[in-house]
Amino acid sequence: MAEISSALLTAWLLLPLLAAFTAPLLPSLARPLALLSAMLSAGMGLALSAGLGPWSLELIGPLGVLLQFDATAAPFVLLNGLVVLAVLLDGWRQPLNGPFAVLLMVLLAGLNSAFVAVDLVSLYVALEVVGITAFLLMLGQRSGLQLWIGLRYLLVGNTVMVIYLLGVALLYLRSGSFRMQALADLAPADGATSITLALLLVALLTKAGVFVSGLWLPRTHAEAPADVSALLSGVVVAGGLCPLLRLSQAVPMLQPLLVAIGLASALLGVSYALVETDLKRLLAWSTLSQVGLVIIDPFVGGVYALTHGLAKAGLFLLAGRVGERNLLRWRQSALPLQQAVPLWLGALSIAGAPPLLGFWAKEGLSRGVSGPASSVLLVAMVGTAAVYARLLLKPLAPASGPLPLGQALLALLLLAGGLLLAPLPAQGSLLKAAAVLVAGAGLELLLDLGRPALPKLERLDDLLGGIAVVGVVLMALLLGGGVPWAV
Amino acid sequence: MADPFRLLEALVLLALLAGLLGLLLRRNLFLKLLAMDVMGSAVVALFVLLAARGGLRTPILEAPQLPQPALAWADPMPQAVILTAIVIGLSIQALLLVVLTRLARIDPLLDTASFEQLSGASSHG
Repeated sequence: MAEISSALLTAWLLLPLLAAFTAPLLPSLARPLALLSAMLSAGMGLALSAGLGPWSLELIGPLGVLLQFDATAAPFVLLNGLVVLAVLLDGWRQPLNGPFAVLLMVLLAGLNSAFVAVDLVSLYVALEVVGITAFLLMLGQRSGLQLWIGLRYLLVGNTVMVIYLLGVALLYLRSGSFRMQALADLAPADGATSITLALLLVALLTKAGVFVSGLWLPRTHAEAPADVSALLSGVVVAGGLCPLLRLSQAVPMLQPLLVAIGLASALLGVSYALVETDLKRLLAWSTLSQVGLVIIDPFVGGVYALTHGLAKAGLFLLAGRVGERNLLRWRQSALPLQQAVPLWLGALSIAGAPPLLGFWAKEGLSRGVSGPASSVLLVAMVGTAAVYARLLLKPLAPASGPLPLGQALLALLLLAGGLLLAPLPAQGSLLKAAAVLVAGAGLELLLDLGRPALPKLERLDDLLGGIAVVGVVLMALLLGGGVPWAV
Repeated sequence: MADPFRLLEALVLLALLAGLLGLLLRRNLFLKLLAMDVMGSAVVALFVLLAARGGLRTPILEAPQLPQPALAWADPMPQAVILTAIVIGLSIQALLLVVLTRLARIDPLLDTASFEQLSGASSHG
């Protein structure tokens, strides 16, 4: 464990904010400062992944802020830096749009704080900062639709944070502490503890966009500007995922519950993605399914979120360049080679094709589940392969125009990371991956004959109702002494 | 005698539920935002109530009355925490209301249903 001064850690956390406040004064420095902030974040993520740390930082006493720079935060901090870097590079040739770079740096700092915070009050502040910044980013051109989507996002986000605060108040009433660890120390099968846990869980699940509490996600991610969609699907959902993984590590009795919710979310997202006719909505529904897979394993989840975030951010950036969003006309126009290759790599990585990084993460995830859950996971993986098989079926045109830097960077990382971590996968897992991909392609060909219509679930009242339903079900299950299917 | 803490707690939870129901059942967007604020205010009240659980005295010591264990101090922690949440809640409410005034140009009645049909110029093009 390397020693590091707390001043250095604080400086690392605050530097993007300082840069964000400097940028409006010196607009020409906005982009270099944002680039530096992103690189520092990626550097810290790499250092933590390489086994440096864990470092813990306690500010203003035992009731104050507690930050944990550890292996759980590592993949998320790395993802944050890389996605922001890719979004910056992607827009490097275009003129800067108003306060975009400033908001980007605030978002980076807010997300990093959410990843390292282990006291619930700091986490609350960090998530609210992230929510407000994401809202300002998604307003884009301020069209009627964008205003409506932004309002929905902020309304849903703030409502669940009020529910979250209620959970925090209950925790303080019982234990006199705001620490996540205090939750673990409470009596497990006690009524008040169950309600506290349910309130915190429903808030974090909504923020992460999981299952019916995450029904706000598809339309929000689809209607935001392309680079903002990349940020939202790539890292902003992770602001809810990382605390969920920490909670699941601290309170192991939640794990069967999270496995069930995660798999349900995976199936829900895949089903809607399969019948979708709009490119960005397909990607967004797929995010809803992938965040479900992240929460089923508290230890592999972070790496899974990293591989998914890199691929999905690249795909959303690409969706902004393709021009054609209607999938019914997807095969009628050709894609230039320098855009097609990042598209293939991103799509194949999420589908779990070797030797890409996504294959390696899916392997890790499959190893952790057993029993009926593993068959459901397999179904979700076949569905995911089918979703992305659809994107691959696009004619190819010779390379023309500039190379999309951001997407090229993300695709390269997926390939290099995969080759580095899993150069020679076992024959069994290779065969399994191939079978999943073939089954997925088959399913896509079958669905191509006619896609069924699914009920529409995205009115504002559905989103709020979904949150209420998940909250009530969580409370009932936790009050009933855990999940009935736990062994 | 009923415990006043319990009674106030029940009132706070009632306010919270009233807000939640308003959020779920109202069709007018402005009323939805107000209902969300009712929920927020209820949680603020809960934190203040939490702080007053042990006593009502302001936790500021004056020279002549230094350590006197018999005095029941209020707990400064929840109050400090909720002050942050009040500021955040206020700014979010302000942002939402600004967006609402822009949306009022589309439907001055602010009926939720009329915004659900909005579609992007770029999508499904």
